[in-house]
Amino acid sequence: MLLQVENVRKSFGPLEVLKGVSLPVDRGDVVAILGPSGSGKTTLLRCVNFLERADGGTLTFDGERFDLSRVSRRDAARLRRRTAFVFQSYNLFLNKTALENVAEGLITARKIPRAEALDAARRALDKVGMLDRADHYPSQLSGGQQQRAAIARAIAAQPEIIYFDEPTSALDPELTGEVLSVMRQLADEGMTMLVVTHELGFARTVSSRTVFMEGGVVVESGPSRQMFESPREERTRAFLRTGA
Amino acid sequence: MDSRLLNILLDSFPRILLPGLTMTLPLTAIAFSIAMVIAVAAALAQFARVPVITQICRLYIWIFRGTPLLVQLFVVFYGLTKVGITLAPFPAAVLVFSLNEGAYCAETVRASLEAVPAGQLEAGLCAGLSYLQTMRRIILPQAMRTAFPSLSNSLIAMVKDTSLAANITVVEMFRATEQINARVYEPLALYIEVGLIYLLFSTVLTWLQRWGEKKLGAYEGRGV
Repeated sequence: MLLQVENVRKSFGPLEVLKGVSLPVDRGDVVAILGPSGSGKTTLLRCVNFLERADGGTLTFDGERFDLSRVSRRDAARLRRRTAFVFQSYNLFLNKTALENVAEGLITARKIPRAEALDAARRALDKVGMLDRADHYPSQLSGGQQQRAAIARAIAAQPEIIYFDEPTSALDPELTGEVLSVMRQLADEGMTMLVVTHELGFARTVSSRTVFMEGGVVVESGPSRQMFESPREERTRAFLRTGA
Repeated sequence: MDSRLLNILLDSFPRILLPGLTMTLPLTAIAFSIAMVIAVAAALAQFARVPVITQICRLYIWIFRGTPLLVQLFVVFYGLTKVGITLAPFPAAVLVFSLNEGAYCAETVRASLEAVPAGQLEAGLCAGLSYLQTMRRIILPQAMRTAFPSLSNSLIAMVKDTSLAANITVVEMFRATEQINARVYEPLALYIEVGLIYLLFSTVLTWLQRWGEKKLGAYEGRGV
């Protein structure tokens, strides 16, 4: 097991967003987290990468166990160097070109020599079809191009898992395809991915396991094929039928 | 214009410009550089909400923004001798202008830091950078780009404010003009002359600001 989160709890003021969520991710798994807005799926992902401090729960990463409510900055940074995060709003560094965006984490965080890092960054950009835009700033790229550059930034450091937070939700329909096909390619190559998404098609055809969340709990989870063909819970069935 | 007046103006021009170049500009350059260090440090401390230091920064900004620059100059130069601290005019001026300008610019930089989208910090952390690395490499450069026009404004204002140092016997442009006027008594012509030299300095700085903004604007897609 690469990743095991257990009993994650998180409240924002009086609002309890996560009510004890547990989730295992094996190496090579592509896990899709589905659920209506407000189900807590994004908060779960943010807690797992310490962008939100959970009120309780544990994270076991590659055999090492952390208390999510009081993980140190140092441990968080150390774990983040083994993972990557793709945001809904891309969050490319606005003051850096696509190439510099990809190389930054390699040079500054992982102390890889500059020339070597730039090579790796170019390879990553090439993989997402963005090499010809390497010297463009984010403001000069379309949403789809920005998200592909963000995925290049994620894969360049060869993370053990990539977290995706609704990676296509900010994109026009005609641009989601180019991002989804890059993600599909990563899945085919065996990358471990934990993907919060609204794309039922992606969950059904690409993910190996699907988790359905609602109201801060996991309603149902299982192999994607079984989840989509014969969901056990009525609520899951309704969601998969209507997407809401 | 009679030839006496013309002669006075021509004769005084280098004698006003020279202290401008040897006093006004160095005073501005040194004090503004120190002010920038203070401003960035105070802004970062407040942005990161470092306990105690944040409160100290607020107190400092409150005092230096809330009292007149001239009063600050008098307290430091004339007042502190009472408690045994006697500063030469130029160091006293550098000290006061640095602290005063630092207080204003700290607020400019802090506001600019807060204007950087929160996702930039998160992306830096997720890329494995430490908090300080993210601030230095990602957040601060973007904030300084935002702050640049306001900081340029402060710099231009400061060039003119250094004339207040005349009151603590720093012989900068304005005091040099006063001294010439005391001999020849041509206040209208001489004070307009020094005003025009200040305008010249400000104009050059305005050009530098435009040039700087253009260079810094590259990543915002406003041409390179």
